[in-house]
Amino acid sequence: MAVFKAYMKIARKNIWMILLYLGIFFCVTILFQRFVPEGAEGYTAESVPVGIVDEDGGEAAESLINYIGRTNETILLEDDRESLQEDLFYRNVGYIVRIPEGFMEKCILGEEKIEAVTVPGTYAGYYVDQQVNSYMVYARSYAAAGFTETEIASAMAHRDKAEVTLVDFSGNAGQVPAYTFYYRYLPYLLLSVLGYVMGYILMGFRRGSLPQRMRASAVPERRQSVEGLAASLVIALALWGVSAAVSVVMYRQDIFESGKLIWYLLNSLVMMLTALSLAYLVGTLVKSSNALSGIVNIISLGMCFVCGVFVEISYLSAEVRKAAQFLPVYWYETVNTLLTDHRTVAGSIRSEVLSGIGIQIVFAIAFVCVTLAVAKRSRRSS
Amino acid sequence: MVKIENLVKRYGGVVALDHFNLDVKEGEIFGLLGPNGSGKTTAINCMLALLKYDRGSIRIMGQEMTPDNYDVKRQIGIVMQDVAVFEELNVYENIDYFCSLYIKDKSRRKELVEEAIRFVGLEDYRKTYPQKLSGGLLRRLNIACGIAHKPRLIILDEPTVAVDPQSRNKILEGICELNRQGSTIIYTSHYMEEVEQICTRIAIMDHGRSIAVGTKEELKSMIKTGETVTIEAVILGADDLADIRSLPHAFDVKYEDQRLVVRCTGAKHNLIHILSCLQEKDIPFGRVFSELPTLNDVFLEITGKQLRD
Repeated sequence: MAVFKAYMKIARKNIWMILLYLGIFFCVTILFQRFVPEGAEGYTAESVPVGIVDEDGGEAAESLINYIGRTNETILLEDDRESLQEDLFYRNVGYIVRIPEGFMEKCILGEEKIEAVTVPGTYAGYYVDQQVNSYMVYARSYAAAGFTETEIASAMAHRDKAEVTLVDFSGNAGQVPAYTFYYRYLPYLLLSVLGYVMGYILMGFRRGSLPQRMRASAVPERRQSVEGLAASLVIALALWGVSAAVSVVMYRQDIFESGKLIWYLLNSLVMMLTALSLAYLVGTLVKSSNALSGIVNIISLGMCFVCGVFVEISYLSAEVRKAAQFLPVYWYETVNTLLTDHRTVAGSIRSEVLSGIGIQIVFAIAFVCVTLAVAKRSRRSS
Repeated sequence: MVKIENLVKRYGGVVALDHFNLDVKEGEIFGLLGPNGSGKTTAINCMLALLKYDRGSIRIMGQEMTPDNYDVKRQIGIVMQDVAVFEELNVYENIDYFCSLYIKDKSRRKELVEEAIRFVGLEDYRKTYPQKLSGGLLRRLNIACGIAHKPRLIILDEPTVAVDPQSRNKILEGICELNRQGSTIIYTSHYMEEVEQICTRIAIMDHGRSIAVGTKEELKSMIKTGETVTIEAVILGADDLADIRSLPHAFDVKYEDQRLVVRCTGAKHNLIHILSCLQEKDIPFGRVFSELPTLNDVFLEITGKQLRD
């Protein structure tokens, strides 16, 4: 087991680098978790303190005040220019609506607009504008249908508030569980650490005349390859095992209750194998540690940016998503998203998850084939 | 120990080994001497089954050498021309690793590694990493990695390239000691002084062929030159040169930049004859050197060119 032990020894020399990456990974994951907005299960409209100057005092005006008051705090104000300006300045109100005398005739039956004043540069005004416009559209419709002022006021009072029902497919009541972020960022850890460690080891074994020296030794080439492969698997499994164990410890209750732990583990295990095969390819091609560092950074960061690790897949443009489909991390993240968005993995979702995992395996096999071809070619040329 | 017959190795249109023959006996320090590109490393790589050859046969320890003849490989130690060690492992770990490719028993291996460290004088550098070693110490580590498992046959391919004189002497002494301990050595070099110093038999290679084989004395006796006399700061005319050429045993006379070089056959009093001739003509001269033939003279006479051309 000489080759196996040499792999492990060289890997151990990189233990500080591995720990550094693990540290960065855990810090980044915890930081991102903290920035997740809480209470994402529904939404409520923004409540704005709205000042009302009612010059009309009729039923339609009262109906408009009640309509605005459904979602906002309404405050009746005197028509005094200075005190109105003060109220706006001190933010006692965010918006002032002036209901003119003859509101029904001028504004509902006529075309006159309602005068409104808001604090410049605030978004509160847009909400109230929308509500006032909405009231006017309905009221004018009723008026056009022949409703009297009293009937319009009554109809608007009985008009139901629009309700939105969110369908909870994920079983998370709309919330994004923290372990989702953990598994979303995992490819960065796997690609970086395996890329560096395997690249470092394989580069060591290819340095100078070492390959010839090894071929001339008493250990058969096939055995050397098998021992090297076994050591690589042990290193990769150890890394995956640590990250899986940490996820279980950190999110014990949530992740067990979700019932999807096994799927997350399977997906990350396949991602680990893909990252390992890619690391083997990089290690076979790279010739210096500087080049290794550059290439590993480009691959790990590049893939993570375009495949939905650092930026959610849904935020990526269609072109980027199309291009990302040619990279294994995209399929890992697709499976992750499916697992996050669905309470159970069954039926068509199960098929989609399995096909995502299958595509990652195909990528791993492709990387292994390319690596073998490159290794054979370099052996021939040497 | 090693028998190579009619070995032919081509790289495309280039013939690297042209019906190369070699017969190394057990207990010898056999030198392969030749200029760069003469085919020494190719011959070594064929011997180690690292290269496929086009024709011929290689037998080591009575067995045909093939890539999967691990019985033979187990008894061979290799010291490559380029230093072949792991930068990530320290001196002890490197020697232990290469030794573990041949010796499975851990306690036996520990003894052998310690012995190899003492042998090359790296006792103070056990925990040192190769990047921190000087060129000479690195070469010694390279040798320790190749010989730690106590092989019967040790192949050293130019082990002293870019090494300081002190380390070179240490390495050469070490090779002689390994031979005394029972190992057969094949030593390739383009430094004729080294080969002359340690090798019991020598094969001179050129253009992939073995052009002369024998002990250094046998090789030197193959050529006409018995002595080379060099006289500096001498001013000669055409008549003087003709007189020197007519001296008995002088067969090659060269005069350039007031420097006279006379190659003579192996007779006595060559130097006295030449100096007497100059004194008779009242010709003043500076420093005088008389040298016995070297392997370079052998190479020069056989190929018509210097060994280091």
